[in-house]
Order: sequence, then C-alpha cells, then structure tokens
Amino acid sequence: MRHRQRSLRARCLVVLVVCLGVIVIAPRESDAQSSSLSVSGSPAALQIVGAAGGAGGLPAPAVNNATTYTVKVQNKTVKKITVQLSSNMPSGVTLAISLAPPTGASSVPVTLNTTVTDAVTNITNRQAATLPITYTLNATLAAGVVGSQSRTVTFTLIDLP
Amino acid sequence: MKAVSLVAAVGAMLVSHVAFAQTATQTVTFQVDAINEVSVSTANTSLAINSAVAGSDPVSATSTGLTWAVTTNQSGAKITGILSADMPSGLTLSVALTAPSGATAANSGNPVALSSASTDLVTGISTLAATGLSMQYKLDATAAAGVVASDSRTVTYTITGGA
Repeated sequence: MRHRQRSLRARCLVVLVVCLGVIVIAPRESDAQSSSLSVSGSPAALQIVGAAGGAGGLPAPAVNNATTYTVKVQNKTVKKITVQLSSNMPSGVTLAISLAPPTGASSVPVTLNTTVTDAVTNITNRQAATLPITYTLNATLAAGVVGSQSRTVTFTLIDLP
Repeated sequence: MKAVSLVAAVGAMLVSHVAFAQTATQTVTFQVDAINEVSVSTANTSLAINSAVAGSDPVSATSTGLTWAVTTNQSGAKITGILSADMPSGLTLSVALTAPSGATAANSGNPVALSSASTDLVTGISTLAATGLSMQYKLDATAAAGVVASDSRTVTYTITGGA
C-alpha cells in the first residue's frame, strides 16, 4: 500500500515537472518564433582613399549604408539590439555603426569595439521592420596605411534592459 | 535527492528561458590606402619684369598671396616641382615653399630654380594635413635675356609618399 502511494507520488511529481517544463519552455519557443533578428548580408569593403576636401584635409570617411536588418518582437515584450566587434580596430581607425530604429524604438551611433554596446533600445514592433545599417570608417593620419582586414559584427536581440 | 534534481532541472529551464537571445552577424572588411595630396591656391599667376636699377640686372618679379596645402598619412613624403619646358635663356623661374611642421624646405626656404627636371622642394613630410602654407614665385632675368614676349609654363607639383 505504502509502495503504491510512493509510486503514485513519484508519478505526480514527474507529471508536475513535465507540466512546469511545458509552461516554462512554451513561451521560449513562442518567443523564438515571434521575435527575430536578421541582416541582409555583409557590406562591401570600406576603403579610405583620400583626404576630405582635397589636400590639407583629413582622411575622408568611408560610408556604407547598403545593408539592412529586419527585426520583430513578441507581443508585450520590449527588446534591444546590442552590437559587438570580434576584435578591436587598429590604432587610429574607428568603425561606427548606426541602425535606423523601428517605430517607437530609439538608437544611437556606436563606435564598435569588443564591448557589447546597445545600438537600438525599446524595440516593441510585432510586425517585421526592415531598416538600414550605416557603417562609417574613419582614420587619423597617424593611422597610416592599413591593409585589408576584416571584423565580425555580432548583433544580439535580447530582452530590455 | 530526487527532489533536489528536479528543482535543479526546473531551475535550468527557467534560466534557459531568461537567457534567450537571438544573434546575427556581418563581416566588415576595411582598409586605409596611402593618402598623398598636394594643391596650390591658384592655377595661374603672372610675373612681369619691367624695370632695373641703372648698373644692375633687371629687378626680379615676385608673386604674392599664394599658398599651398598638403595631406599625407605616410612618413618621409616629399614635394617636387617640374616645369613643362625649360625657361628661355637668361630667365629663371624659382619657387619657395614654406615647409609644414616637421618638414624641411629645400634651399633653406629660399627660392629654388625650376626646370624641366624634377626638383625637390620640401622633404620629410610626415603624417600631417596643412593648409595656407605660403609659396612664392620669383622671376629673374639677366640683361642679356633681352625682351621676352609673354610666355607661360606649367609647374607640376608632385607629392611622393614615403613609408
């Protein structure tokens, strides 16, 4: 009798745990389906080739705004996008990124480095929004000539804050 | 013990939920080319010799108010000047460029005679951008040059990058 009661209790516990798992996991799957972030591809190479305004000017920035990102979030959730570089830029060279924000969100230009930094906050749009990404490459004269290099920019969509 | 394991499992599920994040990546390729640019403030200037002090060669003519500018992201760049054709016999066209900070003007900043052979005018220019640097042309003539009708030459300035 006691053995049957113990067995019944164990089964109830298992059922309880499974239910909890479903309850906890279900929103996560829904979240994954309802919230999404993607980019249109990688930008063309950014190349600084001359001085702004000609002789006497500083190196002219190289700009690329040909790529986009698409984002949407689950109902009643507020998210943000962070950005991070795979490794820091060479001395005297900076890479900045600006993501146009979806309606209701806000964004700030970010000088990229290996630190995770907020680029877009307060994202609440449930419908997918596709928006431009602008990269700006700057260099000081002291940076000198910099051969072709690459960095990976990681965009992460996470809950706010 | 089992209860503890189950609680841990539930905890892990909760943590898994909280840590949800989605990522995307882009690869950004970049480079900075050698930048060596030089310019002058005006494309044309005229010089006329029309007097002399008795007993001396004609008085030289000089330009005023001209400037030049330079940008380089390299070290040890230099400016050279070259004429499109040599000057007539007895005439000398010279130019003096003020050196930017850290660089050296040829001939200690005094005018340097130009010809159809390339001539160093400023050397040792390193990673700088400078504008409004003064430049001055000087036209000299010997008495033997005689009367020379209006003529023109093109002066080409070239910046050669260092390292």
